[in-house]
Amino acid sequence: MAGGYRQQPGASSGETRKDGKRVAGKQKFPPPGSGGSRPNMGPRDLDSIPESVGGKEPQPAGSHIHDRYRTGTEVGKPRALVDSYAKVTGQAWYGDDVRLQNEIIGKILRSPYHYAKIKSIDTSKVEALPGVLAVATGADAPNTFGVLPVTKDEHAMAVEKVRHVGDLVACVAAVDEATAMEALNLFEIEWEVLDPVFDPRKGLEDQDEPIHWRGKYHVGTTNVQKRVFQEFGDRSLVADPTASSHGKWRMEGVHHGFTEPHAVVAHWDPNGRLQLYTPQQVPHYAHRALSTVLEVPMHQINVIRTFVGGGFGGKSDPFPHEMCAAILSRKAGRPVRITFSREEVYWINRGRHPSYIEVKMTADDEARISGFDIDALIDGGGFASFGHVTSYYNGVLATAPYELGSFHYTGARVWTNKPASGAMRGHGAVNTRCAVEVGLDEMAEQMQVDPIDLRLANLLPPHSRTISGFRITSNGMRQALERVREGSDWDKKFRQLPLGKGIGIGCGFFISGSGLPIHWDPNRFPHATVHIQIDMDGGVTVHTGAADIGQGSTTAVAQVVSEVLALPIEMIHVRSHESDTSPVDLGSYSSRVTFMNANAAIRAALDIREKLLNAAWEMLGYHPDVLVLNDRRIYYKHDPAVGVSYLEALHKAQEDKGSLISSGAYRSPPMGGVHKGAAAGLAPAYSFSAYVAEVDVDVETGLVSCTNVWAAHDCGKALNPLAVEGQIIGSCHMGLGQVLSEKMVYGRTGHLQNPNLLEYKIPSVHEMPHVTPIIIESSDPEGPFGAKEAGEGPLLPILPAVVNAVYDAIGVRIRTLPLSMDVVWKAISSKTRSLGGIEATELPSPRLEHSLLQQTLVERGTQHRERDRRRQRSEDTSAYVNGVLFGFDPDQPLEDQVEGWKSAVEPVPEQLAELGLAGKAWLKKEQRQMGGDK
Amino acid sequence: MGEEYVKMTPPAAHTIWSAVVNGQMKQAIAPSNAILLDVLRDEVGMLGVKRGCDLGTCGCCAVLIDGEPRLSCLCLAGQVQGQNITTVEGLAEGAHLAPIQTCFATHGGSQCGFCTPGFLMSAEALLTVNKNPSRNEISCAIEGNLCRCTGYQQIIDSIEAAAAIKRGEAPALAPASNPHPNPHPMGPEEPSMPPGHAR
Repeated sequence: MAGGYRQQPGASSGETRKDGKRVAGKQKFPPPGSGGSRPNMGPRDLDSIPESVGGKEPQPAGSHIHDRYRTGTEVGKPRALVDSYAKVTGQAWYGDDVRLQNEIIGKILRSPYHYAKIKSIDTSKVEALPGVLAVATGADAPNTFGVLPVTKDEHAMAVEKVRHVGDLVACVAAVDEATAMEALNLFEIEWEVLDPVFDPRKGLEDQDEPIHWRGKYHVGTTNVQKRVFQEFGDRSLVADPTASSHGKWRMEGVHHGFTEPHAVVAHWDPNGRLQLYTPQQVPHYAHRALSTVLEVPMHQINVIRTFVGGGFGGKSDPFPHEMCAAILSRKAGRPVRITFSREEVYWINRGRHPSYIEVKMTADDEARISGFDIDALIDGGGFASFGHVTSYYNGVLATAPYELGSFHYTGARVWTNKPASGAMRGHGAVNTRCAVEVGLDEMAEQMQVDPIDLRLANLLPPHSRTISGFRITSNGMRQALERVREGSDWDKKFRQLPLGKGIGIGCGFFISGSGLPIHWDPNRFPHATVHIQIDMDGGVTVHTGAADIGQGSTTAVAQVVSEVLALPIEMIHVRSHESDTSPVDLGSYSSRVTFMNANAAIRAALDIREKLLNAAWEMLGYHPDVLVLNDRRIYYKHDPAVGVSYLEALHKAQEDKGSLISSGAYRSPPMGGVHKGAAAGLAPAYSFSAYVAEVDVDVETGLVSCTNVWAAHDCGKALNPLAVEGQIIGSCHMGLGQVLSEKMVYGRTGHLQNPNLLEYKIPSVHEMPHVTPIIIESSDPEGPFGAKEAGEGPLLPILPAVVNAVYDAIGVRIRTLPLSMDVVWKAISSKTRSLGGIEATELPSPRLEHSLLQQTLVERGTQHRERDRRRQRSEDTSAYVNGVLFGFDPDQPLEDQVEGWKSAVEPVPEQLAELGLAGKAWLKKEQRQMGGDK
Repeated sequence: MGEEYVKMTPPAAHTIWSAVVNGQMKQAIAPSNAILLDVLRDEVGMLGVKRGCDLGTCGCCAVLIDGEPRLSCLCLAGQVQGQNITTVEGLAEGAHLAPIQTCFATHGGSQCGFCTPGFLMSAEALLTVNKNPSRNEISCAIEGNLCRCTGYQQIIDSIEAAAAIKRGEAPALAPASNPHPNPHPMGPEEPSMPPGHAR
């Protein structure tokens, strides 16, 4: 196809006059959008078109429903993020970079007490200070808000009492920062200091003055915010185990550590509408909360998402400072900018919950996993935030990827007088996943089998149903395990390395989008909506509410539209910043954006594609089925010379209509069980990952350094492999921080002692191991071009992989995170003492002699490998039911086959005595008789 | 709080600060104890210099002072009076992006992008003195910068690629899928500043 076809409609753009001079010719349409400096159609990229539709891209996981719409333009190619050029030139505008005319500066007065009642606030001196333009206190915003509709327990500023040091008390706006800071000193407040609670275990006990009052759902007079009980399966299998592991874990809270501190600019425009600029992952929830708190209809608020300097879950709540800025701006009549210092970022927190986790696991005589028994007590801090969901996720996301005989979970989240915990990358799943994977490692050791073979012989296959009723579609867990085993040379290293060097394995399982939109009925409204608009110039404007927080959601949406329409990605312009122009979107959390938004974008693009093809049909006389879209041209399949340019087809399609507009939506299919809490953890697809980590442990100092990681993640289909690899490596970095160095240190007095990046130890470039990212593509049947999430799941396996590797290196199991030097050294020295006071350098390294079970596992793994391969490619997608491995008939309800098969969401009275730490929350009664909100 | 009210910020005399910022003489009236970061962002308008921690721990505010990388949050404006300051806005050569900028985009060195200006300045300083840095040397050059998104690996890749371009061993990269010799090839995703932004 040398030379190609000209994209430009109409005559040649130039002609030669009689005198020999070339002049510009007459054009039917102006050139923009028609190809610019690339006037000719590029060749079809067969390497990026799937085999099933005649291309050369291999499809080991079979064909996909979207294959027909692949044009080889963008999908699967490593691409720079579309907004990265704004970032490398310093032009990306983050929260604090929004400087409006006549702006003033807002500052927040924060509580000096952990827990206190505010008896009175006198603001007269503040108001008298020259330069102060507005002052606001809790009385200005009495309405409560919260990210979840069921737990609205936050105020813009403390209304009755403050709940942690750093809780918002009042705010002030002044002409400059210095004056605003001065003003904070002038508030006169009378306090009544109350007894604070810091230890989440104390939160389970009754208290005179609970931190919040939940009306009829209140559990005793404790600080329990949410309690969960779930039991599934055949509990009799747990008795008489061949191997068992019982671990009690203590995990510290960690913070997202995004580099951009929170910042917000509020401006009531001359028409009386609020324009709020904020780096939000979930602008829509902020939008709703603002409307509630300010008592202004949502359509009078325009939430403008600035560029977001890292989110990781930490910018997904509606925040009180956003309300403060709006209130101050309304009072002062000028734009108000509030920027947090790094310390304030830690006061608002929403990081991972500090947790006490207890896991009991058993395996039977065939090394099948007969039971998981998880108890998780999580410390929610002062507010509910996402905690309702976190309480579930701590248990239910451990029900896969393994086939379980039984599952038992008790969880509780308590309020304490600390900055609120919330959602953070790997939401709720990270800590229990670590505990579970380390438990498996311990059981493997007891049974003298290889932990990878133990896992390979107990996996759920593709298209299966977990013990709690989650529907798993594509599943690349097995390939992931096999690839990291091969890549890391596992069989030559595991249990064979010298003292101080170790290698460990960990797996992960995570949701790809929450199956239930929080604020509305999924049967009535879709999860995501995307609008596409094409005007005469041919440029494609995509409107989406997906919040790009650096993960590349804008790029993903642009890529899929570009792929469907076969247009260069420069012609796709994604508008996602303003709620005025974006369709409602749930935002960037629970790893939903690629799956849901890209699916919605594909649907919208398909609508446009159909209109273009119909126009081409009319012009060419060939049915759309035999027309091919390729690089700004539509042509007859068997003769590329017969065709029309994209612009010609577009203009034909636009006749009588003007611009082409389409809307696409995504909603998840009906799925899941009916028990209470069945929706938690439900997702249209799940991602899987397996990591092998290599560590060096200095046995004399306890210093652990991770040197190598082989990271395999099943993301369905890598729309942009560069971005997926970036997510995998970045997840490793964040997970390594949690497992090796990061913790929020609360001292004896309950004060957060390290609210800065100097003492809160984020790994620097020197602590970072070499990560080999391995992308597994299992082609999810419902994902956009087969894609699933890659943003959160890759974080989970790094923690257990490192903990297991540390055991391999020194033979000591440590169940306190992070594995900082003091923790490891203490564990080593107690081990050396127990061995009769030997030197640390004489510690025995763990070694492995395979037992007979190993052979059984390898054989079962091989059989299952074949089973999985068949299931992955088969047309039949009826679910494999958890329990078949234990000899149950998949076609019969399990309740009918197994005596004692359970599906319970509340403990029976005789169970109460044996419940774990968090389970103790069930000893209290809900205060139903008391009713009402206090 | 009953005690006598004490003014928190001691008054400081305002002085005229001047320096060459990205090749242009800039003047500002600022307190004599003003921090360089504040002056660059608020007075000069170089908003590409980011404030991450105010404590010299994150490296987002790195700028070049006479070619040397320095954290502007730990530097008094008065200390660099009259010197040459380069910020991320001054990296591009006229209409052409510096290789380091293009490589950060094409090799995944920038995800959320907030730490990017700081990394670019550290990397640029390294590449000026070391044309062929090893991965370890690159690590040492960026050890003062924190990135929470990328895990550094793709940042090191980006710097290696830029070094190769600077040495002439690799062709200057046209930004992905666009051959225009245009500094902002695809244009920022949306207008680069919100309406009403004072430039």
